[in-house]
Amino acid sequence: MSNLRRMLRQTLTIARRDFVATVLTPTFLIFLLAPMLFASFGALGSLGARAVGESGEDRERLYAIAAPADGARFLAADRLARGFLSQESLPPALEVVTPDPDPAAQARKLLAQQDRDVPAVLYGAPEQPHIVHGNAISRSSKYLAMLSEQVARDGRAGLAGPISQPRFERVARETSTIGGKNTAAGFAVIALFAVTLILASQAVGTMAEERSNKVIEVLAAAVPLEAVFLGKLLGMFGVAILFVLFWGTLIGNVGAFLPSSEAATLAGLAPAVGLPVFALLFAAYFAAAYLLLGAVFLGIGAQASTPREIQMLSLPLTLFQMGMFALSLTAAGKPHSWIATFAEVFPFSSPFAMAARAANRPELWPHLLAIGWQMLWVALTITVGARLFRRGVLQSAGPKFRWAALLGR
Amino acid sequence: MESNAAATGLALTASGLVKRFGGRRVVDGIDLQVPTGAVYGVLGPNGAGKTTTLRMLLGIIEPDAGHRCLLGHDAPRDASDRVGYLPEERGLYPGMKAREAIAFMGALRGLDWATGRKRAGVMMERAGLGDSIDTKIRKLSKGMAQFVQLLGSVVHEPEFLVLDEPFSGLDPVNQERLEGLVMAERDRGATILFSTHVMAHAERLCDRLAIIAGGKRRFEGTVAEARGTLPMRAHYVPHHPGDGIAALLPPDAQRDRQGDGWTFSVPEEGVEQTLSRLIAGGFGIAGLSIERPGLHDAFVRIVGKAAAEGTPA
Repeated sequence: MSNLRRMLRQTLTIARRDFVATVLTPTFLIFLLAPMLFASFGALGSLGARAVGESGEDRERLYAIAAPADGARFLAADRLARGFLSQESLPPALEVVTPDPDPAAQARKLLAQQDRDVPAVLYGAPEQPHIVHGNAISRSSKYLAMLSEQVARDGRAGLAGPISQPRFERVARETSTIGGKNTAAGFAVIALFAVTLILASQAVGTMAEERSNKVIEVLAAAVPLEAVFLGKLLGMFGVAILFVLFWGTLIGNVGAFLPSSEAATLAGLAPAVGLPVFALLFAAYFAAAYLLLGAVFLGIGAQASTPREIQMLSLPLTLFQMGMFALSLTAAGKPHSWIATFAEVFPFSSPFAMAARAANRPELWPHLLAIGWQMLWVALTITVGARLFRRGVLQSAGPKFRWAALLGR
Repeated sequence: MESNAAATGLALTASGLVKRFGGRRVVDGIDLQVPTGAVYGVLGPNGAGKTTTLRMLLGIIEPDAGHRCLLGHDAPRDASDRVGYLPEERGLYPGMKAREAIAFMGALRGLDWATGRKRAGVMMERAGLGDSIDTKIRKLSKGMAQFVQLLGSVVHEPEFLVLDEPFSGLDPVNQERLEGLVMAERDRGATILFSTHVMAHAERLCDRLAIIAGGKRRFEGTVAEARGTLPMRAHYVPHHPGDGIAALLPPDAQRDRQGDGWTFSVPEEGVEQTLSRLIAGGFGIAGLSIERPGLHDAFVRIVGKAAAEGTPA
């Protein structure tokens, strides 16, 4: 049997053991459903925030003190303006009140209401509105000023409100928009980051398991440590594939249950290389990102021999991963910049940045180069990690991290 | 590179093996020649360099100098599928069932899982562990788990079996069971190399042995040759005890008095002249026995000599 075939067989034996040992446990179910727990907590949090926000909305009010004719124009202008404002940027509801003999005093009285927060009150002629407000000039004050301008214009033209009756029709686009590509790029980076964050960090503790139960010498005697490393990576990669397939299938079918307008929005996330090629490249970059970060995590995690040491090592590794994420996300937003090129070439951000590139730019050849480059780094990282591990564990010296081990045999 | 191991009759050769840790020579130029089909013991006190030597022989760690040839391969890893190994620090996955653990160890050495499982069942039945075939390792006793690991190291029927301190931690019943397994493996045709510092096992099992102390090989040969490094011991009981006996015993011999009796090393010319002197002196002979010293004595002497020479044993 050739050495390569033997190493492959040994690698797969270790991968199989790790895969089975991970998947056939009750804790795997918790791990598999972890995103659902995250989502549930997120939903609960957002529900709470929304409830707090809505209760605040009820307590806020803007007032326009205006004669009945202008009052109708104020309400029409308010309806028009609210139509293109997002939910988050909507000002408080507008109420029109008929002016008293002393509108200035009336305005101050409204502003000083105890049972409602009133950011601003408008009175006076629409051409020369007087806006009183309690705090610094706010968006609400400016909003009233804008409404007043519209009311003044409508008044001069003798209009009671908007005169156009727009008809909205949505049509499918032949080509993807720059915004759609950017969104797809951002989505790719975030999705890759999320799955590698969950899965690659699992690798930190796997070698410590071998140390604690002392199986490592049995493995090291039968199998090159490179094969042990690769086997562990592949075993966890199998777990990762299972995880991604489960959630991919679930999320892939979410579109069928969404309202047509929302589904059409999702369809607008069109990557530059086309969806089928993008899916393939995404899978390849997921594999590369997982193997690359997993190899780093495994190599450094191999230096730990206790859960406490694993915890201590996990923080800098997560920060490193966050750094790669931030770099890649910036690259996704600026596809032709030097920072994008840097992120695509730097080995540990390359899978994320190249996935973003696949969404932003249609050329395919850079992806072949990138995948080759990333695989080279996977091999390099595994070799260095295995060497560190051999130095740390199988000799009488303690398992401390030693830079010199990187250089010597 | 593969040379013809069968032609040389040696399953393993090692020459000038050196390993340094932190500037200290843990193994210092060790030579070994293990004949095919032999049970070969590597004896030495704690810290002598036995485990490091075995690890180098198996290719787990690389020597700083020296040469090895295992089953005809200069790179021991190339022969890994034909080798079995029981490390000094026993280790199994606690969540694995015994049968799976044995099959897994076989699979690492090239045995397919199905055959491994089948053989594991048969071997465990034979070893009297049939009730524990599907028991998880964490639920086995230490001795049973150790035995499971031993079965895992031979499930692929290796040509060369390396056992590092195989008897440590085993109760007498399991020690006997292990000795039986070692003999069965030898009868199957396997070459066995094991390290120990318990002389009784070595004496019973080894065809040849090497004694290591301070990282150096101090002796190599058969058990009889090891015992032969010490003169025979005579135990003499006088018919009429008295104070003048010591003066009549051989002058350079190590002499110990035990009650009325005396033990002394037999000089090269034999005991006849000494006995004549004792009879002439009127002490007579009530009892006399002459024994070859045990391996334990030889070991203590060889290792003690190394320590006396200034090398830490």
